[in-house]
Amino acid sequence: MSNSSLGAAAVALGVAASITGLVVVAMGLSNRRGTWKREVHWLVGVMTFAAIAAVVIMERALITRDFTVAYVAENGSSRTPALFNFATLWAALEGSILLWTMILTGFVVAVVVKFRDRHDDPMVGWALFTLFVVTTFFFMLMMGPANPFGTFDPPPGFDGPGPNPLLQNHVLMAFHPPVLYLGYVGFTVPFAFAISALITGRVGEGWLVATRRWTVMAWGFLTLGIVLGAWWSYETLGWGGYWAWDPVENASLLPWLTGTAFIHSVMVQERRGMLRVWNLSLVVATFSLTILGTFITRSGVLNSVHAFVESGIGPWILTFFGLIVVVSLGLIAWRGDQLRSPGRIDSPVSREGAFLANNVLFAAFAFVVLLGTVFPLIVEAVDGRTISVGNPYFDRMTMPIGFSLLFLMAVAPVLPWRKASPGVMSQRLIGPAWFAAAVVVFSVLVGARGWAPLLAFALGGFAAGASARQLILATRRQGWRGLVGRTNGGMIVHIGVILIAVAFAASNAYVRQDEFNLVPGQTATMSGHELTYEGSTVIEYSNRTERVARVRIDGGQVYVPAVATYPFAGQSINIPSVRSTAVDDIALSVLSFPEGDDDAVLLRSTIQPLIVWLWIGGIVIAVGTAMAVTPGTRRRPTEPASAPVETVA
Amino acid sequence: MLGLGSASRSKSRLWSWIGAAVIGVSALLYGSIASGEPRTNAERAHSLSNQFACPVCDGQSVAQSDASVARIIRREIRTWVDEGRTTDYIRTQLVADFGEDVDYTPSASGITSLVWILPVVAGAGAVTGLFFVFRRWKLEADLEPTKEDVALVESARADQS
Repeated sequence: MSNSSLGAAAVALGVAASITGLVVVAMGLSNRRGTWKREVHWLVGVMTFAAIAAVVIMERALITRDFTVAYVAENGSSRTPALFNFATLWAALEGSILLWTMILTGFVVAVVVKFRDRHDDPMVGWALFTLFVVTTFFFMLMMGPANPFGTFDPPPGFDGPGPNPLLQNHVLMAFHPPVLYLGYVGFTVPFAFAISALITGRVGEGWLVATRRWTVMAWGFLTLGIVLGAWWSYETLGWGGYWAWDPVENASLLPWLTGTAFIHSVMVQERRGMLRVWNLSLVVATFSLTILGTFITRSGVLNSVHAFVESGIGPWILTFFGLIVVVSLGLIAWRGDQLRSPGRIDSPVSREGAFLANNVLFAAFAFVVLLGTVFPLIVEAVDGRTISVGNPYFDRMTMPIGFSLLFLMAVAPVLPWRKASPGVMSQRLIGPAWFAAAVVVFSVLVGARGWAPLLAFALGGFAAGASARQLILATRRQGWRGLVGRTNGGMIVHIGVILIAVAFAASNAYVRQDEFNLVPGQTATMSGHELTYEGSTVIEYSNRTERVARVRIDGGQVYVPAVATYPFAGQSINIPSVRSTAVDDIALSVLSFPEGDDDAVLLRSTIQPLIVWLWIGGIVIAVGTAMAVTPGTRRRPTEPASAPVETVA
Repeated sequence: MLGLGSASRSKSRLWSWIGAAVIGVSALLYGSIASGEPRTNAERAHSLSNQFACPVCDGQSVAQSDASVARIIRREIRTWVDEGRTTDYIRTQLVADFGEDVDYTPSASGITSLVWILPVVAGAGAVTGLFFVFRRWKLEADLEPTKEDVALVESARADQS
């Protein structure tokens, strides 16, 4: 059998197993006999086997350059290097849906294994039902508008164009999409349990506790995926930027914002029994936004350098998105009475008050990003005009929210639950305040200017001081175990976020960019750095021809920005070369080479401070997330706060 | 003695706060007001290039794109900056040449003003809502039991015993 036939059979098997699983779980739930456990295990196994088999068949087709598979004919090439050929699976729309589905079935297996002793529990049953609905949708996509196993009749000697050249010039192509998908897809599990809680009426804290680690892990993968994407853009696109408020970038940020709000607000529900509707709404919003992001990335409605080609998948995803929103909101409205919070917040100046403020800010942030992203579509629909919303809007609107969140990151960790006294606050925050002052003084002494970046550094120092204080106290009490558990791991995550915020502020405020025409041997000076052009060479690769400029920076190492021409894709791209240090980055790219070897090259140089701390911040967040999901010594999460309210005279 | 020690600590902590605030705010103000290195024309041109979309690209700004039209616009912007033109002049010229959608800053008039107004309105609504919620919680907390409430509880306790 051909790869196309085998792949189509695997997808059909997945659809059948998924739909059968849906029916079997529904029958088990309606009969309340709990006899579906063995059948469900079997069906989940078949469904997962089908997804893995489909991926393996596609990889086989790519590796063997089987151009009778349309996906391989359109995206594969005999000239593509092995690593990028393997990663071609997720280089285009159909393959990306295949990867998404395989990861989703992996999560379903993990749920079945984790809750193997609770399969008779309707909470787990309805969660599995919801998961089967989602897997059915994605398998159906592969039967319809995102069919990866379409056939092609290649003429003799046919060779494909290979993936988009931008997707085959950096090793992060192999890592960024899978990690990002682990984040996107991971949020399906808390969503499924939220729906289950609404259907069963068990809307207390049980579903939150059951899915807490799943949520944190999904959030960690999404964060790491976004940071890796930024790093990839920075190293690949050649303009010295890592974040451009592009619609596809925004589509990944939206679930991150609501997911971040959720992992904070669940603590209020666990400790005080409050914010039930809000938490359910946040988890529904997070999952819905991952689906909306899929729509934005794959429907072609918005222009983006990161988007897949336009396809007929848009209406399917939009319908599924609408279904999720309508069903979820309907269930929340249905359970309205049970969702009333039994508690209340005693004081705005308390841990729960800070979390509430944090949630309002994250919701506002998400609203601004969503509005700015879809606003051109609204204006076009209403007024027929085409407009753009970009950097100036997003920077201006999100900056005050970012400052407020940094302030809260400093204050919230030191606040006690229920009510804080000024004395306690004063004592706990004085260290971080001095650290913030020291950071501003140091920044001014080294030449930093401008109120916005300096305020970001000050608030970053304040928040870092508060996080460090918490970690120092915890490790004094518990040794190395003071670094694990949700609270302490969360503080490590905070330090990572602060590193990214400070690096973001510095690199945006103090970016320098210029273009130079240089003949061989000529030197340009920029912000105290010397750039000497030493000439160019041409290098032939299997899939491209590179013309490489040799540029010596500050009399030291030679850097090699290049222009790569991919003849079969009919496209030339820039390959920047970056010198990274802890202080600043110099990103070089060639805008145009001369005809003759002795003529001038047009070189673009971008100098930005603290860029490397963006990536270090991402690593710190990953480490912190791993620490946060490692069990620490803490009170039981469902235990109510027992401390009496402090009386303030 | 304990009370005196506590008062002394509070006082010294207050002075510590004042010290941190004075030093931090002074440095912040100095850094905000004092001019650093003068902004070069190249830097201003780069900043402006980030505020306009490349007319032929998929979601890239003039600063980001390597397309030839983006390079031409970058050169035009640099020329206008060298001539001392204002940002408004440059914006008007580029919109006239390439259309409204090259401008990444939505206009603050007409229907596009909603993109600026709606977040402010939503933010104000959220803050007002939170104010009333906290007020209601405070009022509930301040409720004193009436004589009837006390009698009802006493009677229930008596029934239980």
